[in-house]
Amino acid sequence: MNAFEVAGTMLLAGFLPLVWCAATRRAVDGLVALELAGTLTVLALLCFAEGFHRSFEFGVAAVAAVAVWTGGLVFARFLGRWL
Amino acid sequence: MVVAGAGNIAVDVLLAAGVAGALLCCVGVLVMRTTYDRLHYAAAATTVPAFLVLAAVLVREKVGSGGLEAIAAVGLMFLLNPVLLTATARAIRKAEEGEDG
Repeated sequence: MNAFEVAGTMLLAGFLPLVWCAATRRAVDGLVALELAGTLTVLALLCFAEGFHRSFEFGVAAVAAVAVWTGGLVFARFLGRWL
Repeated sequence: MVVAGAGNIAVDVLLAAGVAGALLCCVGVLVMRTTYDRLHYAAAATTVPAFLVLAAVLVREKVGSGGLEAIAAVGLMFLLNPVLLTATARAIRKAEEGEDG
């Protein structure tokens, strides 16, 4: 394993407290945890793309950055309207 | 030979700092008392930790096609996130008004 694979794995480990936060607290707290999980996903994709020497997969991280943003907006809009 | 060694050290230091910052944000979202404080930590992950990881990638990839896509990913995250934060803060305010009302 190289440094990027270790970093990506540790970033994925950061999901555990976020899942617990989303499962046990209010919906808006879950949304905040979801947004941070999205950021961790983008960073983990960057690390794994470099760690596995697949530079064409950096595009996946760019698409994920936009998808995370769009999904977060949809949830924020939904929670703001139908609580 | 020396350059390769220095590059590896730089990558390790940048990655360690970036991952530590991101995990610190996870702890912040977990332990902070109010939802607004948690939102602050969720937003912080798109700034310093993201650029540290990006710097580590650029040390290896230089500014080739992969490097440019990595810059695009972190740049998009950094520039788009304030819009998402504002929408989330409005949803939080409505949620807390609904509870008080």
